[in-house]
Amino acid sequence: MENKHQVPVTVLTGFLGAGKTTLLNRILTEQHGQKYAVIVNEFGEQGIDNDLVVDADEEVFEMNNGCICCTVRGDLIRILSGLMKRADKLDAIIVETTGLADPAPVAQTFFVDQDVANKTKLDAIVTVADAVHLSSQIEDHHEAEEQIAFGDVILLNKIDLVKEENIDVVTKRIRKINPFAKIIKTTKCGAPLKEILNLDAFSLKRILEVEPDFLESDHDHEHDDDVTSLSFVSEKPLDMEKFQNWFGKLLQTKGQDIMRTKGILDFKGENDRYVFQGVHMLMDASPMGKWPDDKERSSRLVFIGRNLETMNLKEGFEACKSE
Amino acid sequence: MTTDLNQFPQLDKTKFEQRGIQLEIGVPVTCAVSIGNYIAAGFGDGTIRIFSSGEKHKTLKAHKGVILCMAKDGDNILTGGDDGYFLKISLNGEINEITNFGSRWVDHVAAHNGNLVCSSGKVVYYWDKNKKEPKSLNHDSTIGGLAFDAKGRRLAVSRYGGVTVWKKDYSNKWKSTKLDWKGSHNKVSFSPDGKYLVTSMQENVLRCWRLKDKLDFAMSGYGSKIKSFAFIDDTSYLATSGAIDAICWPFDGEGPMGRKPICLPYIGNKQVTFIEPFPDEKAIFAGLSDGSVFLSQIENENNTIIIRSFTGSEVSAIAMTDDKSSIFIGDMSGNTLWTSIWDQ
Repeated sequence: MENKHQVPVTVLTGFLGAGKTTLLNRILTEQHGQKYAVIVNEFGEQGIDNDLVVDADEEVFEMNNGCICCTVRGDLIRILSGLMKRADKLDAIIVETTGLADPAPVAQTFFVDQDVANKTKLDAIVTVADAVHLSSQIEDHHEAEEQIAFGDVILLNKIDLVKEENIDVVTKRIRKINPFAKIIKTTKCGAPLKEILNLDAFSLKRILEVEPDFLESDHDHEHDDDVTSLSFVSEKPLDMEKFQNWFGKLLQTKGQDIMRTKGILDFKGENDRYVFQGVHMLMDASPMGKWPDDKERSSRLVFIGRNLETMNLKEGFEACKSE
Repeated sequence: MTTDLNQFPQLDKTKFEQRGIQLEIGVPVTCAVSIGNYIAAGFGDGTIRIFSSGEKHKTLKAHKGVILCMAKDGDNILTGGDDGYFLKISLNGEINEITNFGSRWVDHVAAHNGNLVCSSGKVVYYWDKNKKEPKSLNHDSTIGGLAFDAKGRRLAVSRYGGVTVWKKDYSNKWKSTKLDWKGSHNKVSFSPDGKYLVTSMQENVLRCWRLKDKLDFAMSGYGSKIKSFAFIDDTSYLATSGAIDAICWPFDGEGPMGRKPICLPYIGNKQVTFIEPFPDEKAIFAGLSDGSVFLSQIENENNTIIIRSFTGSEVSAIAMTDDKSSIFIGDMSGNTLWTSIWDQ
């Protein structure tokens, strides 16, 4: 097998004024000895002047492949293919999205476009959140909530402006939406770049390492369109065929409401662990070697999305357990 | 010792490689055009190399970054780059800036009879040869491709949702007609006879319009995106990349509707990534994802010869001189071949 080099791409999202530009300026100006290209949106908060900054116009379009969630970023396909023709090789690419953009089309571009997938890989979605305003933004704008839902890393920024107990409240709010994101508390986005870039968060291997905060499945019900998460564990092996039927149908019919899924599965009669993760309807799955001897075999599944309580997820999952 | 069955068999150098000049430039070849008996090739580091028989090739530093596109304008080369520059370059190496857009890339360029166009983002800029300032033609989405028809009267601009065809009316005002089809359209081309307009889409499909009645149809069945296509022998065939065969759709007579394409197979089962016509013949050069290049007769699949063997890198440019004596081949790793076609 040819071992192809793929440039990691970090998607940087976050509500207006949260501190994305501060972070981008750090990435472009700090002495790190790395070559990073930054794709900014045309409505950027302030101009960043650098040869490696590319303007994008956030052109979102639907693929005509029958998958209703298959929206991708056309401009991104074009820009990434242009960047891959450069003489100097890039260490990483950062894609900034506007404060009001849904990060899903950016992520989906890496699943859907073969050329993009050959030469680049989605590294992580990093969400910058404003500790002062996040709670009210989540109430008022569904985009703010979605950005938290999609994040692999959440920089909880401006904590110097918030009281200790309020930080706890915001952190709990984030955890409720997204139990597996890594939360880094910062002022002026001052986290080490190695905790933000090159994380390989979308590699299936990494899912094995990240233990999500498993919350109790019965959560307070606030609004109907709140983004929430649900997780399930089963010590009993699953029936592969039943699971595939249930899960396939679920993503097909509810894929628009299900934003992210991750899981490690123990199938009856299989020696390997199966690992998967998805963004809306698109999924990446693979066996990931044998179960370690020192670990109990179990299946774990996490959903982040809207209206999860209407999908009978618990019943569906229970029915997949082998006889 | 291990053997890898997937590996392409080790071939001796072809006779074309033996007598030609092979270079390892180390940066991607992004484009190439013929200008008379010269070939100009653009590279990912902003350089241009000009090849002609009997002379050493000339290297020019033209752009600060990637040369994204290239076209012929009379005896000159037009280039657009990710440095935002739109340049006109003479074969002697004289570089003239037509304009520059700062951090916005120049994605596409084209020319006809001294009139120049380029696109940057959603806007097409048209320079009438008699005027200094360009006319801006605006579109709602980023432009995927530009093409003049053979007479230079119509300019097709592909974009998200279809193609906009621009034409000057009798009072010299620009008028546009829209050909709509949902999805993102990339490369666009008129057929040489002016009867059809073809685009390759973001999905693995081509869209075609018969211009007299705007009837549109798809050409599908591809395994990957169609990055390269060309009309062959005037409008006899449309030859396309995007499959392990070169797919040649018949465009003579009543056109391709209801007819099957000719599929030209190549050894190694690699994707065809680049198609270049052999001028005035029903024959094509096909470049593959492993760097190999073949010359085939469309109506006689047994008449295929290998021009360049495996390099391991996708063919990204092929150009033949106007006198049909020599060809240039380049790939994404910067391996180039410049060779005469005919035995001495």
